[in-house]
Amino acid sequence: MELFSNTFRSLENALNYANTKQKVISQNMANSDTPNYKAKDVEKTHSFKAELDSSLKSYRTDARHFAFDSEGGQASTIVTKKNVQYNNNGNSVDVDKEMTDLAANQIYYNAVSDRISGKFQSLENVIKGGK
Amino acid sequence: MGIFQSMNMTGSSLTSQRLRMDVISANMANAETTRGEYDAETKTWKPYTRKAVVLQSKEEGFSSFLNAAFQKTSGVGSGVKVTEIVKDKTPFKLDYNPDHPDANEDGYVEMPNVDPLREMVDLMSVTRTYEANVTVLNASKGMMMKALEIGK
Repeated sequence: MELFSNTFRSLENALNYANTKQKVISQNMANSDTPNYKAKDVEKTHSFKAELDSSLKSYRTDARHFAFDSEGGQASTIVTKKNVQYNNNGNSVDVDKEMTDLAANQIYYNAVSDRISGKFQSLENVIKGGK
Repeated sequence: MGIFQSMNMTGSSLTSQRLRMDVISANMANAETTRGEYDAETKTWKPYTRKAVVLQSKEEGFSSFLNAAFQKTSGVGSGVKVTEIVKDKTPFKLDYNPDHPDANEDGYVEMPNVDPLREMVDLMSVTRTYEANVTVLNASKGMMMKALEIGK
C-alpha cells in the first residue's frame, strides 16, 4: 500500500481545477469592459480519464508517444463559453454569473484544502501512533 | 505562470480602471475649457477634446494560440491592457456668447465635446468594475491563505 493514497492525487487535481477556475474568473472580470472579449470557462476532463487509468495500465514503447497516465494529461481545459448573450460591444461576460461562480469556487477550494489537511492529519496521527 | 497569476490579472484591471477614472476626471475638469490646445499655424486656440480609453484583452501570446490550434482550447490569458487613449471625434458644441474672449465674428464660442452626463455614467461603470475586481482579488487572497494552512 502506498503512503500517499490516490485520494491525495484526486484532491490535488481538485485544487488545480479550482485554481484554474479562479484564474478564468479573474480574467473574465478583468475584461468585463473590454470590447469583443469572449468569456471563458473551465471544463473538468480528468474524472473519466482517472477511472480509465486506474483499471488500464499502459506502457510507452517510444519516447515520441504521448503519455497515457494522468500526469501527461490536463486536469481541466479552458474553453470559450457557448450559448451566452452578447453585449452591444461584443463582450459576453455575465458579471452576476462570474460573481456567483467566484463565491462557489472559493467554498469549493476551502472544502478541498480542508480535506487535504484532514488527510495529512490522519497520516500524522498514524505516524505518532495515536499519541 | 505561477500562483500569483490571478492576482496579476486583477491588478491589471484595477490599474486600467483607475486610468479610465483619471481620464474621466480630466474630461469633467475640462468640460468648459475653450483653450485646450494651441494651433501654432493658425495661431488660434482649440477647445478641449474629450478623451476615451481603449481596452484590450491581454492574451498570453504565441503559446496560447498554438494551444488553441492544437487542442481546440484557449489559454486563460493574462488580464487586460490599455492600448491607447483616443480623442473623441464628435464635433464641438457652439454656444452663442458674444462677450466671451474666444467668440468668433458671429458671436459663437466653440465649447468642448464633453457631455457631463455621459462622463457620470462612465464613472459609475468604472466604480462598479473596480469594486467587482477588488472582490475577486480578496477571493484569490483568501484562497491562497487557505492553501498555506494545508498540513497545519
